[in-house]
Amino acid sequence: MNKYFQIFKISFQEEFTYKINFVMWRVRNVFQIIVTYYLWDTIFSAPGREVFGYDRAKIMTYIFTLIIVRSIVLSARAVDVSSDVAEGNLSNYLIRPMSYFKYWFTRDIASKVLNLFFAAGEFAILFVILKPPFFFQTNIYVFLSFLMAIVLAILIYFSLLFIISAVPFWAPELGWGSQFLVIIVMLEFLSGAVFPIDILPGVYQKIVMSLPFPYMIFFPVQVYLGKITGMSLIQGFVISIAWAVALYLAMRYVWSRGLKEYQAFGR
Amino acid sequence: MDRAIIVDHLVKNFEVIQKEPGLTGAVKSLFSPTKKQVHALRGVSFSIQTGELVGFIGPNGAGKTTTLKTLSGLLYPTSGFVSVMEYDPWERKPEFLKQIALVMGQKNQLWWDLPAIETFELNRAIYELNTREYEDNLKELVELLEIGKLINIPVRKLSLGQRMRMELTAALLHKPKVLFLDEPTIGLDLVAQQKMRDFIYEYNRKYQATIILTSHNMDDLVDLARRVIVVDEGKILFDGALEELVEKFAKEKIIKATLAKSDGIVDLEKIGKVRKLAFPEVVISVPRNAIAVAAAELLQNFAVDDLTIEEIPIEDVIRKVFKGGIFGK
Repeated sequence: MNKYFQIFKISFQEEFTYKINFVMWRVRNVFQIIVTYYLWDTIFSAPGREVFGYDRAKIMTYIFTLIIVRSIVLSARAVDVSSDVAEGNLSNYLIRPMSYFKYWFTRDIASKVLNLFFAAGEFAILFVILKPPFFFQTNIYVFLSFLMAIVLAILIYFSLLFIISAVPFWAPELGWGSQFLVIIVMLEFLSGAVFPIDILPGVYQKIVMSLPFPYMIFFPVQVYLGKITGMSLIQGFVISIAWAVALYLAMRYVWSRGLKEYQAFGR
Repeated sequence: MDRAIIVDHLVKNFEVIQKEPGLTGAVKSLFSPTKKQVHALRGVSFSIQTGELVGFIGPNGAGKTTTLKTLSGLLYPTSGFVSVMEYDPWERKPEFLKQIALVMGQKNQLWWDLPAIETFELNRAIYELNTREYEDNLKELVELLEIGKLINIPVRKLSLGQRMRMELTAALLHKPKVLFLDEPTIGLDLVAQQKMRDFIYEYNRKYQATIILTSHNMDDLVDLARRVIVVDEGKILFDGALEELVEKFAKEKIIKATLAKSDGIVDLEKIGKVRKLAFPEVVISVPRNAIAVAAAELLQNFAVDDLTIEEIPIEDVIRKVFKGGIFGK
């Protein structure tokens, strides 16, 4: 355990060595929030306007919850794994008595803690300036369900990222491309990070909700907002647990196959 | 003496996708990739005793690094048997990994943006060393490698030679019993090279550590390795003492002579290959089996003050090995 605590500590230190980078990364996030805010604010500028069953207050609530969920779930250092595999840096980890998965999971957690800390600060400032209609969940059971949904989301994202990062074992030059396709394109559109999934027509909504993607963003957000309750909450948990387990097993399998192909490039 | 490393009929094939040059080639390989089998190791067998220091030599791409990577559990053997201290390296058991180290001249495990001491601390946790062990080992390495002032400077600000010594420290903190060194002196200046060699020698002697070293640096081999294994095209061509290598593979011997007169000096070419001519000193190389005749001829036809017959310097033989030309291809 001490191993991974040390990794947590050193990851934290490293994040701080490039202070300007970190600050700029946060500034970018703030701008993203402001742009999103004014975009939706303009769309709903006419009083009483409703789009896809969302009015101004509802969409603003969705967007602001999304920001928090996003910074917890999608901030991950493990995006570097794919280049570790392609360039042979993986060797440095395999040679030492520790788990590569646990190593990156620890680094991810360190990154999430740091990002969450700053996101909370920014959120407070923006909240005061923009005064959006934000919904504070006070029901403790709903909040606990939300936390569980977040944990599952983190696990699903981690396994998915590691499966994609294994592509360079077989095709070193496809690392970035496959990551772009899955992480940027599919994840952004199908997770609810750009628009709420429930604006889709019924059939498409059903299809998307059976994929792992919405359980990384949309599902936790809706749980927080108290929009998913009772049977559908349980159903959602069943599906996301199933995905978390399936993707974890797939990750173990893909990596045990991939490591046999590993060529330890670069000398 | 027990055997620390056993390798038997080790084969490793790689599949590589071949790409024709240019953009058309890139597009083509995307749709119909041409795969090619590369035979990196074709049935390699050897064993190494505990405490031995063995040099791996051969031209680039001969399979030296592939062997080291397989022995340290990074590569999955296509076929054959590998055992390092009775462990199967591929399983990468923590008890195994705690006893070995692989140092690759150009790969680094140090955290680039942080002082090296942070990586050392991390390794202490990873290798589960107790405070006492860690502090003793660190102190010793710091003294041996003379890096006391450098451990608190961010790694990116260090020179290559300084960084290499840090890498070595990070890799040896857990006192590995088996050490794989891949080009440990590459890119270092002469003084740093010598320091590195002294260190490797000491480490081997002091801890009875088993060491395999690959190098293109002549001095590394001559100073350190009593036994060498010559690898070329994935096969072992020679395994034995460094001196035997010369006896076995130097097809020529050398005659060194001091001449009294410079008369007829051009005719020296008739005796053998003139390697050096700086009157009165001449150096001629002659095929091994013709050495006696050549010496007699020299004494008969020239005014010789002094004459010695020597083996070709070990460096020349090794240089040939690096070029891959040792077996008269």
